[in-house]
Amino acid sequence: MLKNIISKEILDNIVSPKFVFTFLLCTILILLAAYTGINSYRAELKEYNSAIALNKKNLESQPSWGALAGLGTKITKPPQVLSTIITGIQDAVGRSATVNIAFDPKLIDSKYNSNPVFAIFGPLDLTLIVRIVLSLFAILFTFDAIVGEKERGTLKLTLSNRVPRDQVILGKAIGSFVSLLVPLVIPFLIAMIMVNLFPDISLKGDDWLRIGLIFLFFLLYLSVFFTLGLFVSSRTNRASSSLFILLFIWVIFIFVIPKGAVILSQHIAPVPSVHTVNAQKDAFMQEIQAKGPKLFQEWQQENPSEDTDEYRAKLGQFIGEMRADLVTQIETKNREIEDGYLAKRNKQQILALNLSRISPASALTFGALSLGKTGIQEHERFLNSLRSYKPIFSKWVNIKMTENLDLQNPLEQPKPVLDDMPQHEFVPMSLGESFSLALPDLIVMVLMILVLFVGAFVSFLRYDIR
Amino acid sequence: MLQAIDLTKRYEDGLLALDHVNFEVTEGEIFCLLGANGAGKTTTINLFLNFIDPTEGQTLINGIDSAKDPLEAKGHVSFVSENVMLYGNFTARQNLDYFAKLGGKKHLNREDYYNVMRQVGLQEKAYEMKLKNFSKGMRQKLGICIAIIKDAPNILLDEPTSGLDPKAAAEFVKILKKLKEEGKAIFMSTHDIFRTKAIADRVGIMKEGRLVMLRTREEFLAENLEKIYLDYMQEAAAA
Repeated sequence: MLKNIISKEILDNIVSPKFVFTFLLCTILILLAAYTGINSYRAELKEYNSAIALNKKNLESQPSWGALAGLGTKITKPPQVLSTIITGIQDAVGRSATVNIAFDPKLIDSKYNSNPVFAIFGPLDLTLIVRIVLSLFAILFTFDAIVGEKERGTLKLTLSNRVPRDQVILGKAIGSFVSLLVPLVIPFLIAMIMVNLFPDISLKGDDWLRIGLIFLFFLLYLSVFFTLGLFVSSRTNRASSSLFILLFIWVIFIFVIPKGAVILSQHIAPVPSVHTVNAQKDAFMQEIQAKGPKLFQEWQQENPSEDTDEYRAKLGQFIGEMRADLVTQIETKNREIEDGYLAKRNKQQILALNLSRISPASALTFGALSLGKTGIQEHERFLNSLRSYKPIFSKWVNIKMTENLDLQNPLEQPKPVLDDMPQHEFVPMSLGESFSLALPDLIVMVLMILVLFVGAFVSFLRYDIR
Repeated sequence: MLQAIDLTKRYEDGLLALDHVNFEVTEGEIFCLLGANGAGKTTTINLFLNFIDPTEGQTLINGIDSAKDPLEAKGHVSFVSENVMLYGNFTARQNLDYFAKLGGKKHLNREDYYNVMRQVGLQEKAYEMKLKNFSKGMRQKLGICIAIIKDAPNILLDEPTSGLDPKAAAEFVKILKKLKEEGKAIFMSTHDIFRTKAIADRVGIMKEGRLVMLRTREEFLAENLEKIYLDYMQEAAAA
């Protein structure tokens, strides 16, 4: 009996114009998203390789260690291969940062910044398609699943036979869900084949596992809207009412809650502006800059000038130590200001994320971005790697400057040799770390599905089919 | 055999839809239940099919209480409803196949379905036509096909001729007569007094949940059924 109901449901759906429309639209959108994702990743990869080569060339062409210290090294974020399917926040945030002895590294040169046209239309990726388009289709597939059968009179006719109600709702749920999966699974598989066809896109075992988990997130997300549709359909007496209620909830889930959570978190946990933070840093920097000549003057008073090698060595040592001390002070203070700012910002971020998690759309986005390594956490991880690298680079370049300081010929400093330059290292999040970040979102969605399905099931058992 | 014994239904809002209704429909008999809208005709059918539970009394289908053992009872009855749309994206045969399987007929083939459709006078070109292109009369015929193919000993019809044109209604009457000859117990709720006169073996008139009149064929043919019915309706309207 169950098999008959499932087969009927699948057949009824796949021969319907809405299925044909859904399938075509999903195929076009998913393949377009994959195509743009592939092109974008390949362009990013090319730009990344060029940026690395250019940085090396720039560093090597610096005339002195002082010039190198001021210019710094430009670190470019390596593109994530999974950005081919999950763009995440990487287009909006910067891709490269300069690490020098003076300033805190900041990511600049975002894709939107370099070409604002991208910002107008935003990214078209699989998450967006599933989050908006397929969730809407899940609603269109289910809004009349029960109430529509009631209106057509087929529910009465079905239940006039020896058919238990639990089998009807189970059959409808399974059959409709399978029908809904077809427009996702087939284009998704084609997209994965497309991605695999490019030799410069190398997906490893870890990436495939991540793709599998992202796909699981897609399924869970669609199941939330699917079970929601079943639930509302088994609680209403008119298909039009069911559709209206579902569209209302859809708008709340997709647009209102995610945006509302951010606005609310800004009110509950305010964060000082970036300008305020920068002003604090600049003020301290000026204080330190004023301190330098003063300290030098004091030293000169204590150590009257002599034209001896010993004096010059002493002076060189003093300048090196003073510079290192001042740089350390700046860095310590900057780190203190930055840490205070980041703590507040993190608190606000966590609040916003947790508030918005009641929407499955947010849960999907966070989960997919964590697994695709294109979310906020990965971005923060990269920034932290830059912050950790900065003192290493500063220390190295300061030592080099002190070692190569020639007070007799200050303008003729030796050209920097980069053989022992410490390299910036960035280790992306492991699958375990990504999954543990995505786990709360997975749990949120599973709970929603369970509650809604039980709600739909119980409602249908009591449904007035007259 | 269909039996209603002291059948009473009071809804949650207090409305008494059926008030101790008693009747039975035996094998090879057509029982027509006449009544205005809201008189309780459809409620009676809903009780037989256990779509709602009775407040008091019983509905028996071949002796099985449909409230106590609904699934077993439903195995002995077919149902044809008013305005059934069926599945518009399915062909007539696909609709028939689905409901035949729900009715427990799992090994029928294409030809079996065609034979039934032929039996009710559906044109051959309609067999593989999608239901969304069917007229109301054609859909009602297919509804009858579903009842026929289930081959249950009892048939419940809820205003089956409503909205049918005279030709389609006349064809419908022929089909019912044939089913009666096969020994089916047929219960039909209707407003259609002319079809009732043409086919009913017994007639009941329902008013405000009560069965106010019961006549055999001989009795109502000897009387003026239209007048009796209209008198009851006018009384109902005046009340």
